[in-house]
Amino acid sequence: MSTVAEPSTPNPVRTTARLPFHTAVRTVFLLEMKQRLRGKAWYWMLGIWFVVIGFIFVLATGVIGTTDNQGGILFDLVVGFVLFFGLLVAPGLSANAVNGDRAGGTLAILQVTLLTPGQLLAGKWLASWVGSLAFLLLSSPFIFWALALGGVDAREALVSLLMLAVELAVVCAIGVGVSAVAYRPLFSIVSTYMLVALLAIGTLIVYGLSTQLVMEERTMTTSYYTYPDSSVDDMGVPDANAELECVTQTNLSMVPRTEYITWILSANPFVVVADAVPYNLEDYPDPEVPPGALTNGPYYTPGVMETISQGVRASQAGPDDNQTCEESAQLMQPLPQGTPIWPLGLGIQVLLAGALLLLGRRKLTMPAKRLAQGTRIA
Amino acid sequence: MTNEHGGIVVEGVARSFGSVQAVRDIDFEAPPGEVTALIGPNGSGKTTLLLMLASLLAPDSGTVRVAGFDPVTQPAEVRTRVGWMPDTLGVWDSLTVLEVLKTVGALYGMKAAECALRADELLVAVNLTEFGQQPARVLSRGQQQRLSLARALIHDPEVLLLDEPASGLDPGSRVELRSLLRTLAAEGKTVVVSSHVLSELDEIADRAVFVSRGESVKSQTLDEAGNQTRRYYVQAQPMAALAEALGRYGVRFEVRGDSRREEFLVQLGSTAEASWLLRTLVMGDVVVTAFAPAGGALEETYMSLDTDRR
Repeated sequence: MSTVAEPSTPNPVRTTARLPFHTAVRTVFLLEMKQRLRGKAWYWMLGIWFVVIGFIFVLATGVIGTTDNQGGILFDLVVGFVLFFGLLVAPGLSANAVNGDRAGGTLAILQVTLLTPGQLLAGKWLASWVGSLAFLLLSSPFIFWALALGGVDAREALVSLLMLAVELAVVCAIGVGVSAVAYRPLFSIVSTYMLVALLAIGTLIVYGLSTQLVMEERTMTTSYYTYPDSSVDDMGVPDANAELECVTQTNLSMVPRTEYITWILSANPFVVVADAVPYNLEDYPDPEVPPGALTNGPYYTPGVMETISQGVRASQAGPDDNQTCEESAQLMQPLPQGTPIWPLGLGIQVLLAGALLLLGRRKLTMPAKRLAQGTRIA
Repeated sequence: MTNEHGGIVVEGVARSFGSVQAVRDIDFEAPPGEVTALIGPNGSGKTTLLLMLASLLAPDSGTVRVAGFDPVTQPAEVRTRVGWMPDTLGVWDSLTVLEVLKTVGALYGMKAAECALRADELLVAVNLTEFGQQPARVLSRGQQQRLSLARALIHDPEVLLLDEPASGLDPGSRVELRSLLRTLAAEGKTVVVSSHVLSELDEIADRAVFVSRGESVKSQTLDEAGNQTRRYYVQAQPMAALAEALGRYGVRFEVRGDSRREEFLVQLGSTAEASWLLRTLVMGDVVVTAFAPAGGALEETYMSLDTDRR
């Protein structure tokens, strides 16, 4: 310290008091990534992730090896699991981003620089998103394996992966936002998990409970094919020459008008992904099968995510109050997409994440006017 | 003393956290080219004041000007000109020492090449050259403290705020810190050092502001402090002869109770008075073995304020 700390240039920084956005975000991003790449925790998580996804994949391959649409079901399963585990991992990577630094005493050091709170949050978010995308990347062997089995077209695969990445981005944004708002890392991680659970499970519960609110008494008409009573003998076996006839029944019953409440489901990450993916619905059997006949496939066998997509569409369509005989005889038919619901869901999620980030930005703006009880800046 | 565009001027600043009034009313001036000590007991509001100067905390009332700018309305202007070394150590464990400096430099808008050059210079200045490529977590507390100082200096600030910079430093590093701070002040920078190691500040500081319970209670230059009434301790062989001699000249003394050695404390108004007493004692054949100020000049002021000790 005895040597003089002469400035290397006579007038180094004075010129600008504003930091360019990309410089700031890149610096924070690199700072975060260096720490993550040099720690052990992230690699352990990646390793565990790989083993778990691999285990599930191999298990699933064995179980559903004989069905039609094997590639499609497996691909769907991988997408579903990557989303599920992604929802578990992303909060862990993001929800202590800011208050973890505060606990470590490094946040204030960043705050006295020219870095703005928005730039700080953007860098932290980018770093946690890239960190969670690594998990998606690590699942690629299984994704390609499933794709190699056929039955999934490129558009479906591409949109699925894209939506997975988008959902991870949303969860990371929520996590970073909460970490800036809440003071204790543990609290913010738990809160982020609660918010993710609210989206993934809470929407389902609210939807389920809301069906009670939209119950309506309606005249339901159901029709089905049966043999006329006259042609059935004492043993209940129909006469060989008997023709099926269409019987129509009407009754009053309480049915939930699910079309009014389907929007509640929209914010569910699984729904957002499933609803956005353009599943191929064309190669399925001709609906005009002769009544009572059994066809030799291919049967419509949707995978996990496609089933969710179909469920949402059925819910959007509401109760079918007029089932014709033709419909009852048909094999299960995929429903075409009506109004896409995922833009609404993604909008709600982005709004939630954005609100949290804005709140966090206000909390990080210095000089601080108000501080939470028991907290120190440095 | 403090011009429009340099130094620090704080007038009537107050800041509370909930019901706790951390800072009630502090007036504070730190002119450029001088080292100003901020002295006060634990919890007297030193760190809070420094946080307000570093643009991290807004005062409830009062005005603050740092290098001519208001930290509340012009934080970016203040931040380019202020280097702040916090009392808590915060390091990014896995980053190397050089990376820490370069990262912070980049966040002050410095170019990469400029940053690297400056970082190398600072590592030499704080004696951490051989640790440049080491992760920050391997540094000892004192080394981290020095890294923290280098970090605060990376953008060559006009104003340097140091919160307890000497804590954790070995004696050699303290001496080096002292000369570094003197050098910076000689370059015309405003240096503020908060500490309660008063003997340390005696040698570094040009002036001192004493705070107690969130109020600035006294402000003086070291020259003023040196000329005030001070206590001296005197030892002689035997002590009885000394007691008799002091009694003869009418100098009041007390037996110092907080020391292992037996010695007398006398209160003297000036250095002239002290040299008179010493000469008189020696001429009077008292075998004086020790005759020295009882504490540093600042310690003297600190003890005389007597506000927080009951």
